[in-house]
Amino acid sequence: MIRFCVLLVLLLPVTGYAHYIPEDAQLEVNASVVATWRSASVVDEYEFWQIPGTMMGGHAWPQEKGVSVDEATLTLGSRINERMFGVIEIGSHGGGDDHSDEVELQHAYIGYVCCDSAGPWVLEAGKMSAVFSPALASHAADRWISDSPLVNDVFFGRDFHDEGVRFWWHETAGVSAGAEVWRGKAYPATDTGDNNWDVFARYQWQGERLTLSGGGWFYRASASSRADHRYGGTHIHTPVAPPGVTATLFPDTRFTGDTDIAGLHAAFRYNPQPHWQLGVEAELMQMDMDGILHDSTGRQAGVDSDQIGGWVQPYLQWRRHTMGLRGEWLSTDNHLVGAAAPVLATDSGLANPQDHDPERYTAFWHWQWRDNLALRTEVTEDRTLPESDLRWSVGVVWSGGLWPSASGASAGHQH
Amino acid sequence: MRKHYLGAGFRRPALIAAYLIMLTGCLEQSQTTVDDQGARVSGFDWGLPEHIPLPREPEDNPMTEEKFQLGRHLFYDSRLSSNGTISCSSCHQQENAFSDGQAQPAGATGERHSRNSQALVNVAWNNTLTWANPSLGTIEKQIMIPLFGDDPIEHGLNEGNHEQVLRSLQAEPVYASLFAEAFPGQSDPLFSDQAWDNVVKALASFVRGLISFDSDFDRGGLSAEALRGERLFNSERLECFHCHAGYNFTDATTDRLTSFNTLLFHNTGLYNIDGLGAYPEPNTGRHEVTGKASHMGQFRAPSLRNVALTAPYNHDGSVDTLENVIRNYAAGGRLRVSPPYPGDGRMNPYKDGFIVSFSITESEIQDLVAFLESLTDQAFISNPRFSNPWTDNSNKDLSP
Repeated sequence: MIRFCVLLVLLLPVTGYAHYIPEDAQLEVNASVVATWRSASVVDEYEFWQIPGTMMGGHAWPQEKGVSVDEATLTLGSRINERMFGVIEIGSHGGGDDHSDEVELQHAYIGYVCCDSAGPWVLEAGKMSAVFSPALASHAADRWISDSPLVNDVFFGRDFHDEGVRFWWHETAGVSAGAEVWRGKAYPATDTGDNNWDVFARYQWQGERLTLSGGGWFYRASASSRADHRYGGTHIHTPVAPPGVTATLFPDTRFTGDTDIAGLHAAFRYNPQPHWQLGVEAELMQMDMDGILHDSTGRQAGVDSDQIGGWVQPYLQWRRHTMGLRGEWLSTDNHLVGAAAPVLATDSGLANPQDHDPERYTAFWHWQWRDNLALRTEVTEDRTLPESDLRWSVGVVWSGGLWPSASGASAGHQH
Repeated sequence: MRKHYLGAGFRRPALIAAYLIMLTGCLEQSQTTVDDQGARVSGFDWGLPEHIPLPREPEDNPMTEEKFQLGRHLFYDSRLSSNGTISCSSCHQQENAFSDGQAQPAGATGERHSRNSQALVNVAWNNTLTWANPSLGTIEKQIMIPLFGDDPIEHGLNEGNHEQVLRSLQAEPVYASLFAEAFPGQSDPLFSDQAWDNVVKALASFVRGLISFDSDFDRGGLSAEALRGERLFNSERLECFHCHAGYNFTDATTDRLTSFNTLLFHNTGLYNIDGLGAYPEPNTGRHEVTGKASHMGQFRAPSLRNVALTAPYNHDGSVDTLENVIRNYAAGGRLRVSPPYPGDGRMNPYKDGFIVSFSITESEIQDLVAFLESLTDQAFISNPRFSNPWTDNSNKDLSP
């Protein structure tokens, strides 16, 4: 069945994504801010967002009611000389009362272009986003929808910034392929692990009216005593709730073991006539997690988890208006063995007493009102938890170049 | 012409969308299966709430109701001492949650113990026994100390009198059937060479079966005062919950779910008699066993279940009330300006990192005490299953 599914994905001919190679000899400065108002929160205050059947972590905080800054980034890029370039990006991720205003260094890497100014071989090193999955590398400002894909939240903790080295064959005749080696500071790895790498390949074909792209990747992460750093991982603070409200202490369950994730992505874009565009984007991921769960009280259990998930996003674009849908699904199959298996299954989130299949459906309308400014509204049927939730959102996306001129997109080489 | 063109343009994405919808059918029903490898299987009816894991049972002494009942009789039998004056229940009284209300109890010969009698509450879940001995991992081993130990003398059994004591037990008609039922695999469990081993195993089974999980806290019936106290207890200001952690309110907990144990002992800054961290001899805690300076004054955090019934407090019973225990913690240790053992425990260099001073009002102290009192299990201290089975006063422990 899985082979059949893979074939289906391959039949599909990706969206652009955020890896960035500056092309001008001078400094480029770009920035983006994404703010969204949402009508409802995924979980109530003093509750944890834990999708049944999954282990979560990283920056996968739940969407919250009201206005939140989903993301703010400031990117500096410079082509140092014909072959060398450097990129620095600072930014903040939204979500979580305690974390939404945290500014972190997301990118700080240098690159070397070999053999041709535009490639084909590129060596990059430093802190950067992984490029194996285009959707995982994209920012909230790059997506049609404010929420990141469900599989990215569950499998990668929403985003992926790590320290590492990337060597790749860069867009030659539409083909890119390469490998990345990571220190393991990005979920689902830990830097105490010793085996974090990925390989990827993709192809893009562009005709007069048709653009097709697709690719595949494999990522391996090893983790030692990995925590869910959204709520635990270090000194656990007892949530302080007002009188009459129960606030439970987050169970700090750890995972030690290996995680293998493979993915296929595809995109199709077609211009039937001027100003009109039809497109479909999709990604399918399969995760295999093998290791042990353990906690501070000496409990442990073996875990073997096989999870598969994906999303499909058809859309219709007319001039500056884009409307579309995104459907997301996740299927989990977990097996835990050991005396502490029942309690650790519950504490880790892998328990799934209702055999719940997480799903989420979003309809969106995105209006690129000005070159640098877009407005969007979404309605989301969120079934990631057993209780279904319908929420509306209205957002604004500002994205543009600050230097050398306040024009639209940067002159750099965006993927 | 244009119409045809548009139709063709929309057909391709429609086909692709159809493929994608088919993709969703590839996902199988989610499920999580769990194999606890028999962790909740026991030959003994523990009667535990669902969320409490079973305690470990020694492979050579699995729990049975028959051994529990034999142990109950032995526990309350004053014949199990050198001069027939004390039983286990002399220092472990049910109404006091199996402690004795004294700072330091006396043994059969009147010798005073240097340590406070510990409450016997959920002992089955302790990862070590006694106040500070990391090498005592089973109740069976621990029971040998009060029975046969001579420093101090408790029950006073020794090489010279143990046969006589055993004969007095053998003379009790009730025991013949109790021993036979408890050890059905043995031909003569009361008269054979295994008799003392059987006594110890039965006593251990009874102590292991003293279970208390039916307090107001367990039933969710906390008063407003106790709820405020619970928040204080779990706050980063007071830090209580770190050492008194989990369902048994101690970080020295083990159960069938734990695969490995970190043995934790804590110096709470109670003494500092030489300015260098020393505790009064012989009560130097874990240091008494290991001889390591860094272990000076380290004791196992006792369970707080039924703690309101177990005054006086600390390892030597030197603190009379829960309020004063809290005040010592609030001061970051105890300052003693007068004998015995004056010294500034707050400056003890071996003090646990969680023993830091904090501000607390008298009202908050009362709230915290209310929470601790909510851990009292009235059913536990009145449960006839745990009470003295002897109806004949000649066999009943009559010690004060």
